[in-house]
Amino acid sequence: MAEENIICTFCGSVCDDGQFDTEKFKSKRLCKLGSSKFSKKERIKAPMIDGKEVSYEEAIEKAAEILVNAKKPLLYGWASTVNEAIRLGVLLTEKVRGVYDQCASVCHAPGTLAVIEEGLPGGSLGAIKNRADVVVFWGANPMEAHPRHGMRYSISAKGLLIKDRKQRKVIVVDVRPTKTAKLADEFIQIKPGYDYPIISALRAIISGNADAVPDEVGGVSKEKLIELAETMKNAKYGAILYGLGVTQSRGRDRNIENAVKLIQLLNRHTRWVIWPMRGHYNVVGAGEVPAWEVGYQYAIDFSRGYPRFSPAEFSAVEVLKRKDCDAALVIASDPAAHFPKAAVKHLKNIPVIQIDPFPNMTTLVANVVIPSAVAGLEAEGTAYRMDGIPLRVKKIVETSYWSDEQILEKLFEKVEELKR
Amino acid sequence: MHHALHIKNGIVIDPKNGVKAEKMDIFVKDGKIVEESEVKGEDVKVIDASNKLVVAGGVDMHAHIAGSKINTGRTMRPEEMRVVRNIANKFRAAVGRVLLTSPAIGYEYAKMGYTSSFEAAQPPIGAMHTHEELDAIPMIDKAALPVFGNWHFVFKYVEAKDIEKLKTFIAWALERTKGFGVKVVNPGGVEAWMYGGNVTSLDDQVPGFNVTPREIITSLIKAVEELKLNHSVHLHCNRLGVPGNYETTIETIKLAGGFSNDARQVLHVTHVQFNAYAGDSWRTVSSGAEEIAKTMNSMDNVTIDMGQPIFGHATAMTGDAPFQFTLHKLTGARWSNKDSEVEGGAGIVPLVYLPKNPVHALQWAIGLELGLLIDSDKVVLTTDYPNGGPFTEYPYVMAMLMSKKMREGELEKVSPFVQKATNLPAIDTEKTLEEIIHMTRSLPARILGLPQKGHLGVGADADIAIYDLNPLEIDTSNDFEKVYKAFKTAEYTIKSGRILAKNGELVDECWGKTYWVDATGRVDMEAIKPDLEDYFKYYSVELQNYGVEEEWLKKPERIVI
Amino acid sequence: MIIIKPKTEFVVTVEAELTPDLAEKDVGEIKKFKVYYGKDVVELGELFEITKEGDDKKLVLDGDFSRVKWVGCRMSDGEIVVKGSVGANCGAYMAGGKIVIEGDADDWLGAEMKDGEIVVKGDAANLVGCAYYGDATGMSGGKITIEGNAGNYIGEKMAGGEIEIKGNAGDFIGTEMKGGTIVIHGNCGFVGGDMKAGEIKIGGEFELMPTFVKQEDAWVGDVNVKGEGVVRRL
Repeated sequence: MAEENIICTFCGSVCDDGQFDTEKFKSKRLCKLGSSKFSKKERIKAPMIDGKEVSYEEAIEKAAEILVNAKKPLLYGWASTVNEAIRLGVLLTEKVRGVYDQCASVCHAPGTLAVIEEGLPGGSLGAIKNRADVVVFWGANPMEAHPRHGMRYSISAKGLLIKDRKQRKVIVVDVRPTKTAKLADEFIQIKPGYDYPIISALRAIISGNADAVPDEVGGVSKEKLIELAETMKNAKYGAILYGLGVTQSRGRDRNIENAVKLIQLLNRHTRWVIWPMRGHYNVVGAGEVPAWEVGYQYAIDFSRGYPRFSPAEFSAVEVLKRKDCDAALVIASDPAAHFPKAAVKHLKNIPVIQIDPFPNMTTLVANVVIPSAVAGLEAEGTAYRMDGIPLRVKKIVETSYWSDEQILEKLFEKVEELKR
Repeated sequence: MHHALHIKNGIVIDPKNGVKAEKMDIFVKDGKIVEESEVKGEDVKVIDASNKLVVAGGVDMHAHIAGSKINTGRTMRPEEMRVVRNIANKFRAAVGRVLLTSPAIGYEYAKMGYTSSFEAAQPPIGAMHTHEELDAIPMIDKAALPVFGNWHFVFKYVEAKDIEKLKTFIAWALERTKGFGVKVVNPGGVEAWMYGGNVTSLDDQVPGFNVTPREIITSLIKAVEELKLNHSVHLHCNRLGVPGNYETTIETIKLAGGFSNDARQVLHVTHVQFNAYAGDSWRTVSSGAEEIAKTMNSMDNVTIDMGQPIFGHATAMTGDAPFQFTLHKLTGARWSNKDSEVEGGAGIVPLVYLPKNPVHALQWAIGLELGLLIDSDKVVLTTDYPNGGPFTEYPYVMAMLMSKKMREGELEKVSPFVQKATNLPAIDTEKTLEEIIHMTRSLPARILGLPQKGHLGVGADADIAIYDLNPLEIDTSNDFEKVYKAFKTAEYTIKSGRILAKNGELVDECWGKTYWVDATGRVDMEAIKPDLEDYFKYYSVELQNYGVEEEWLKKPERIVI
Repeated sequence: MIIIKPKTEFVVTVEAELTPDLAEKDVGEIKKFKVYYGKDVVELGELFEITKEGDDKKLVLDGDFSRVKWVGCRMSDGEIVVKGSVGANCGAYMAGGKIVIEGDADDWLGAEMKDGEIVVKGDAANLVGCAYYGDATGMSGGKITIEGNAGNYIGEKMAGGEIEIKGNAGDFIGTEMKGGTIVIHGNCGFVGGDMKAGEIKIGGEFELMPTFVKQEDAWVGDVNVKGEGVVRRL
C-alpha cells in the first residue's frame, strides 16, 4: 500500500495523524509547514570537504580530526533530530570536552531558567484539550507557527469537558493583532516589553492588592486587567500557552518566572497550567536528553571533563560572540542565517562541520558537510512533542543517506580511535 | 574476561536459602550462580572473600530513577547537579548531589553493592521517556511500574464492575508501556485534583465517575491476582502527607483481607512513613507507626516499604499531584506539575529535611519506627528516592535499624519533639544482620516476584556484593560506624558475573536488563478494543502511536505469564 | 606583589581562579598554578609572564584579561588590580579584599559576593551581584562600585552589601531583593520586581513595578510578596 501513517517532524505540535503517499510522495492532513517538509525538497547531494564531494567515511574522519584537535569545540543544534542522535551528541561533546548547546538557547531557554526559579506547573496537550475552558495565548501565534495546534489541542479542540468551541474562552495577549488574535474571543494588545509589569499587576489584583495598581499598565487599562483577572479566577481549568513574544522580548526568563508565580497564585483559587509553545519538533528532546545524561538542558561546558551550566557563558551565541570556541559542529540548524552578525563572523573563522539533510546558509560556511536522512520520513527515532509526550517518528521511505544516528555513531567511534 | 568466578571462603548470608552467616564458596558461570562442578576446566577467577560478608546484590524495589519526573527535577535544580562524582574518562562523567544523572545512578548503586532498581511511577503515555532513561542507567537491572489509579479506563471498568475487562486493560497497558506491574498513586485523588481538589477518604466519590478509592483498590487487587502478575498492586495510599492519615492507611491495608496468594503478598503499600501520621494538624501531629505496625503484623498478605527520610536535601516527586501542590503551599518552594491526558498527574517540589525541624524529625523517627516495629519479613528498606533523600544513605538506615546505641546518638541531634510524638526512643529492637540482608535483598525480590534475584542459590543471577564485614565477629549494636562504612562501599560488586566495582572504584561497565511482564496471553485483547478506540478521542495522540515496542529498548527481558 | 601579563592572545577563554594568595608563593610555584585553557589544564607560566616585586599581597593583571574568567573568585583578602578588562565571574563568592578593574567587567561580576570591595572604572555587563541559577541568595555583603554603566539584572536576590552604579543600568534592578542597597546615579529600566526588603536609590529615570505603594518620599513594595523594599529618588 502506498499510504502510510506518519508523524510530522516539523513543529513542536508533532501531529501524529498524518498520511503519506509514498508513490506520489505527498502528505495528507498536515498543515502547510508540515506538508512542505514531507515533499521533494532540495537536498545536500553528498558529503563534502571544502566543497569537494567525498565519501561518508572520509567526511566523518575529517570531522573527527577537527573535533579532537580543537581546544573547545561547540556542538550546536539538535532540536530537529531524534533523541537517539541527541544522546550520541551529548556523549560526543563530553568525549571531546566541548560545549553542548541547542536551539532553545535562542528561543525557549528563558522558560527553562524560569523552571529553575519557580518550577513548571503544567499539563499535557490532551489535558488542555479535555479540560481547559480558558486558554490564553501570550506572545504566541499558533495559527502561523503551529497551524494545527488550535484544532488539535487548544482552540477548537473538543474533549472530555469541552464539547464545543463555545465552551472555551480564548484570549490572545500580544503586541500586535495576529492571525490567532482574529480567532480569539478576546484580544488584549500590550505595549512591547511590558509583559512583566502586566503580570505583576494581575498578581496584585488577584491577591487583593488592586489598590496599588495604577490606572494603566503596559498599555492596558486597570479595568481591563481586573476583568482579565476575574476571567482567570473564574475559569474551571485555565491554560497560559506562551511563545517567543514573551521569551525573546524584554524580560525574557523573568517574564516567564512571573507568569509561573501567577499560575501558582491562581491554583489557590482554581486550576491553571502554563506551558511553552515550543518550536522545533524535538527541541524538548534536545533538552531532556542532556538533562538525564549530564544534568542540564543546554549551555553545557565539558572542558573540565564534567558538565557545567552557564547560559551567559556557554550558550552558542555567547560562545561565538566571545570567540570562545575554535571549532563547531552544527546539526539540524542554521546559525549562519539566524545568529547575530558577531557570532556568524566567528563561525566563518573556525572549522565548521555541518550535519543536515538540507542545504542552508550554514552549508556555505561549513568545511565539512555531511548530509543526513530526514527523520520521520527516511529515519526513525524518538521525539518529544512540545509537552514532553514521546512519539516514535517513522521511517517510511528508503534512502541512501545515513541517519543522524548512524553518522554520529561513526563519528563517536572515530573520535574514540583518534583519542587512543 | 573470565567466564567463571570462584568466591572463596566468604561468610555468606542468604536468607532465602536459610544460610545464616556460614563460611562457604560461591561459584559463578555465564552470569549465574552454579555448582562447583560447573566451573571445572573453566578459566576461573578466584576472589578471596575470607572474613568478608558475601550476599546477593541489593534490590531497590521503589525509587524514582527514570522518566519525566526526575528529569524535570534535574532541570529545576541545577544546584543539585554541581556535585561532581566522576570525571569523564574510562567511565562517563557523573554528577549530582541527591538528584543524580542517569550514569551516576548506575555508578552509585554499583559502588554500594546494589544491582537492581525499580522505577516506581511510570506515566503510561510517557513510557518511552522512562525507558530511554532506564536505558541510560548503566550497571543495574531495572523495570518500571506504570501508574493506574487515576486512569479513566480503570475508573470505567471499576464503575462497570467488569473485572475481566479491567484485567484485559492491565495486560494491554503493561504490554504497551513495557511495564512490570500495577502502581496505584492516590487513587481517585489525582482526578479530583483536575478540579482543584483531592479525596479525603476511601469512600469519597471520584469526580465524574461513580467510583471510590476503596473500589479502585480492591478491583485492581482482584484483577492483578486473577492475572497472577509477578508483583502485587503497589499502592501509594490516599491522604499522603496529611496529619491523621494513618487511619486511612490501616483501613487500606485491611482491604487486602479478602485476597490471598501463595507466593507473595497481595498488596504492597509503599513509603508508608508519609502515610503514618496521627493527630489532626501539624501542631498536634504524632506518630501512627505503632498502630500501623500492629495491623501489619496481624496480616500475612501485605508488605510495605519505609520511605525513610534522610536529613539533608531531597526532592519530592510523585504522581500524587494534589499533595505536591499542598507541599508547595507549605514550603513556598518551586513547584512543577504535570496533568497527563486522562491518566493522572504528577508534581515536583524541592525540600530539605532538617534535624531540628519538629516535623522533619518526626518523619525521620516514624520511618525508623516502621522499620523496627514491623516484622522483617514484611518491611523493605527504602528512602523513596529522592523523596526521602538519597538511596546512597541506605547504609545509614541499615546501621540504625541494627543499633539502639546509634539511634540514641542520633536522637540527641534531632528536635526533642520526637520524644513525645513518637515511641522511637523507647524501642529496644535491634534487627539482626540477617534481617537487614533480607529487607534489602531476598524480601524485595520476593515482593516483586523475581525468583532469580535477591539470593545466592544455584540458578540465581550472579548479582553479588562482598562487604568488608565479618558477620561472625561484628557487633552490630556497638560497631555501627564500621557497619555503615562497610555497606556504603562494597569491596566487590558483581553483576551477572562481572566485577563492576571494587572498593568504591568502578572497574567495568555493563548494561542491565529491563524486565517487563507480558500477560496478554491470559486475556482476550479484542474485548477492550472498541473501548480503547472510542475513549482515545480524549487523548492527544493516536491509539496506533501509543506505547513502546520491544525493539526500541536496549535490553528488554519479557516475562510471559 | 605579583605582575601577571598574558604572553599571547588566547584562542579560547582561560579560566584562572587567581587570588592574592598567589603573591605569598615564590615565582616558580606561581608559574605552576593550574589554569584551564579549553580542554587542557595548563600551568599559569605557560600562558602568562610572571614577575614578583616586593611582598605585599597584591596581584597586578597587566594587559587584557577580558578572556580570563573567575579572577578573584573566593578571594578573602589582599588586592587585585586589573589594568585592562576582565572576563566573567570576576569576584564571584568573594569574601574579602579588593579588586580594581581599570577597564570593563563581563557578566556575573561579584556574584554571590559576601564581603570585600570591587571597583570597576569602566562598564559592567549583566548579572552584577546576582545569585547563580538554582541558588537562593545573591550578593550578601561588601561593595561593588561601577563608575561607568551596567547591564541588565543587577542585585537579584541580593541580601546585603551595596552596589553603586555611577552611570546608567539596564532592566531588572533588585528583582527578588531581600536586603542591601543599590544606588544608580543615572537611568535604568524595570525596578523592584518581587522585592522583599532592602533599598534602591535612583538618580535618573526608571520604571517601577506597578505593585509598589507610594509613600511620602519613597515607594514601598512589592505587594505581591508583602515586601517592605524601599525605592526612592537619590
